[in-house]
Amino acid sequence: MSVHTTGAAVDGRHYDAIVVGSGWAGSLVARHLGRKNWRVLVLEAGNGGTDNWVDYQDSVRTFSSAVAKVPNSAYRPNRAAPSPDVLDLSPGGPGNPDGYRATGHFLQTGPLPYGTDYLRALGGAGMHWLGAVPRMFPEDFSTRTAYHYGLDWPLGAADLEQHLRDAEHLLGTAGESREQHRLGTVPADHEYPMEQIPPSYQDKVFHKKLDTRTVVDKVAGNREYRLQVYGLPQARNSTPNAAYPTADGSTYKPRGAVGVPNFGERCVGNASCVPVCPVQAKSSPLRLQQDFTGTVEIATRCVVSRVLPGRGNTVRGVEFREYGDPATPASRAYRAEADVVVLAAHAIENAVLLLASHMANSSGNVGKHLMDHPTLLAWAETPPEMPVGPYRGPGHTSGLECFRTAEGRRQRAPFRVEIGNWGWGWATGAPMSSVSGMLGLGGDSDGEVNPDGRYGPALRSALGSHLNRQVQLQIAVEQHADPANRVTIDPSRHRDAMGNPRPIIHYDLAKHVRDGMYAARLAALEIFKLLGATDRSSYGAQADGSYPLGHYRHSPDGVLEELDLVYHGAGHGAGTHVMGAERATSVVDTYQRTHDHPNLFAVGCGSMPSVGTSNPTLTMAALALRSAERIHRDLAELHQPVTVAGPRAARTQEVAQ
Amino acid sequence: MTDHEAAAHSAGPAPLDRFVRLCVPLTGFTAYELRSTGMAQLYFDTAGREIGHRSLDAFLGVWEEAHQGGLGPSRLPALERELARALIYLWYTGAFPRIAPAAHAELRRDRPNQEFVASPESYPEGLVWRAFGGHPAGAKPPGFGTWGDEPPVLPTEAELAARIAAEDAGPGGAVAYDAGSYGSAGESGGSTPAHLLPGPRSSRAVSPSAVPPASSHPVRETSPEAGE
Ligand SMILES: Cc1cc2nc3c(=O)[nH]c(=O)nc-3n(C[C@H](O)[C@H](O)[C@H](O)COP(=O)(O)OP(=O)(O)OC[C@H]3O[C@@H](n4cnc5c(N)ncnc54)[C@H](O)[C@@H]3O)c2cc1C
Ligand code: SF4
Repeated sequence: MSVHTTGAAVDGRHYDAIVVGSGWAGSLVARHLGRKNWRVLVLEAGNGGTDNWVDYQDSVRTFSSAVAKVPNSAYRPNRAAPSPDVLDLSPGGPGNPDGYRATGHFLQTGPLPYGTDYLRALGGAGMHWLGAVPRMFPEDFSTRTAYHYGLDWPLGAADLEQHLRDAEHLLGTAGESREQHRLGTVPADHEYPMEQIPPSYQDKVFHKKLDTRTVVDKVAGNREYRLQVYGLPQARNSTPNAAYPTADGSTYKPRGAVGVPNFGERCVGNASCVPVCPVQAKSSPLRLQQDFTGTVEIATRCVVSRVLPGRGNTVRGVEFREYGDPATPASRAYRAEADVVVLAAHAIENAVLLLASHMANSSGNVGKHLMDHPTLLAWAETPPEMPVGPYRGPGHTSGLECFRTAEGRRQRAPFRVEIGNWGWGWATGAPMSSVSGMLGLGGDSDGEVNPDGRYGPALRSALGSHLNRQVQLQIAVEQHADPANRVTIDPSRHRDAMGNPRPIIHYDLAKHVRDGMYAARLAALEIFKLLGATDRSSYGAQADGSYPLGHYRHSPDGVLEELDLVYHGAGHGAGTHVMGAERATSVVDTYQRTHDHPNLFAVGCGSMPSVGTSNPTLTMAALALRSAERIHRDLAELHQPVTVAGPRAARTQEVAQ
Repeated sequence: MTDHEAAAHSAGPAPLDRFVRLCVPLTGFTAYELRSTGMAQLYFDTAGREIGHRSLDAFLGVWEEAHQGGLGPSRLPALERELARALIYLWYTGAFPRIAPAAHAELRRDRPNQEFVASPESYPEGLVWRAFGGHPAGAKPPGFGTWGDEPPVLPTEAELAARIAAEDAGPGGAVAYDAGSYGSAGESGGSTPAHLLPGPRSSRAVSPSAVPPASSHPVRETSPEAGE
């Protein structure tokens, strides 16, 4: 159990380590250091509370009441530590096809919108994430060398293998190792702690219709791709895998809900993993916080505003402001000191903190290389005799992996085809918008009442049949590190209510990415054809002349027909303090230690030089564990007495085993 | 409406019974099914508040007459047709929708024309989930692995109509189901006409009832409206 404290109580105190942020990254680091007996202070900007059953239910109710069930809809707004929200963005309106309007936490200046959110609350974005944890392919770590785009990592997949396994253990992962090994993402001796989450009925339909069929990619030199449906590794509770090796030889025990015993140890199919799993079968950082030893203190509602410089090029601690009421940003400033400071505040907020502190930026690369997985949605209706039964189970349980690797990457960005289990929800707001559509509700473009519609038995039957036939592909395209995509700050002009600088985001999609999305669109059409489904995707001008948010037109070579395309943000913010061997071109080293300050670490997806086509959190978690071990060694060295062995050294020895 | 009228509107079971009874042919669910959502009173109150108690009463009167005369909602005048849709949407989703601006103006509503969820309890009671044999996202979880099961066979339109007619049979006998005036396309179904499907949501901030259809409604040669 973690020890809760307050900002006022820790003012002026000294810790072995301060961790900024309680998401996956911060929780993994704090947990590890606590178990090594170090005194750790976790400062969390957002509200706490979800770590008890009653308040967790409040999140579920908040979700139920929300009209737009977006990722942040289960969590209350917080003026003191604002979060970006997908609701902050709207399209440019008629006559401005690629334009957009942005309000909220981000100030956006780029040609295209950055449509990704995160959550500033206890547990961070790990509260509303989906829990997809596919591994990156080994080749994803060196796209520059292999395919001449993006940035290479200073490490390879093999260097991370043990930490990836530890992360899969701590996140509580369900998957099918044999299949993943065939795919090329895990070694032959790999096991997941839990058996694969059962595939959806829809996945089985896809298997039957698509496996062994081929799709030609016109963008990648007419290369032929052989389709095969693969299960998705997920941080979601399933049946324990009897073959999974544990330290004491016992069977892996799934970890369930926080604050109630024996609950949530299996996914029961609530089908609302984003934004909130009512039973907590989806893994969240709250679980790790339950493991915090007594030496880890956590203070919520404490927003770190800057890192304090120490002697030489070291750092001394942090300055932060504690607030009482999230609605009024009245707050007090405090300081805490530590031998090591770890920023784990999310890629974008880490960059803001480094920039605001004027630290770690000798390379000029802090904030640069902002990435995401721009996602194309494609949706279709299957024939009446072939229902797929959406709106059941976790958000997605299978995908098509063939477009993710190999030579095609040279010509266009690779992409992963997620087979969505929640109908047309993301693209159209279904099933609610399907009800209004089928009714003809809401009027025409002049606001007049529509003539057509279905009612009563005709409505119930047509809607029931149609909803069971909604297919949606979510195609996540790799975005490589591009220095032009960046986070900056302008503290003299743009601050939030508490006075901290707002992130200024400049974002665009490079040609390689646009080409990848174009290829993804063509692949979706081929997949729908093989399924016998009618494509219903629409990316161009709508009835009122406006274009959907994230619209652009593109032809890869000027010869292929120009198409309207639309991308969505995936929530995978990355790349703002990239890792590298060269201090001139990167911000952190392979331990996520800033090149410029030996006791300042920046952990999280911000360190990743590339994200491949995998959801980033698993790789990021492996990096966080690697950093935690390094920090433990640093602290142990620091506290090693030179002459006599004092009590402290004895402790260090004991925990180092 | 005076306070006295407002009290009369919500007092006693009779107005609520009438509301539920008239919602049966609108929704395609039996009175028992509607009642079992536990939401009847809340929806009656919500609809009264949203469109005005007097307008709701007037609508129910017009709809009752049409229904007794064997006509479905598509034969209602424009305003009443939109109100029928709003009530159905409320039952199907637990939320009161944004309605056609023309109808909003005609009602002279004193509240914004914006969708809102009637209560946290109403969302999981939405009939849309039952319409396709599913469960609400985030509630009533059906259990580990159930998402691998084949979707259920759903009752046909004729079966649904018969079920409702059996329940509806008053002293004068059941009202025959005039499929055409309920917008029926016949049982074969097939692919759904684009104008009855949602188009893309141009941003996540657009509420579901404000999502425009995938294509405009076809222009009608003759007005279907009985009252015009
Ligand atoms: C809708 C959605 C779905 C996703 N699904 C997946 C998925 O399926 N698989 C996957 O791998 N990834 C997914 N992601 C991404 C995943 O959520 C993130 O990669 C991950 O949670 C990042 O963890 P983190 O600890 O680095 O940052 P965060 O989770 O953002 O945590 C940062 C923490 O720091 C705190 N903080 C911020 N600023 C300050 C400050 N100044 N002072 C103090 N504290 C501060 C925040 O409040 C927060 O608690 C998804 C993201 C979204 C938005
Ligand atoms: S499907 Fe439901 S029970 Fe399973 S993880 Fe998602 S929300 Fe939780």
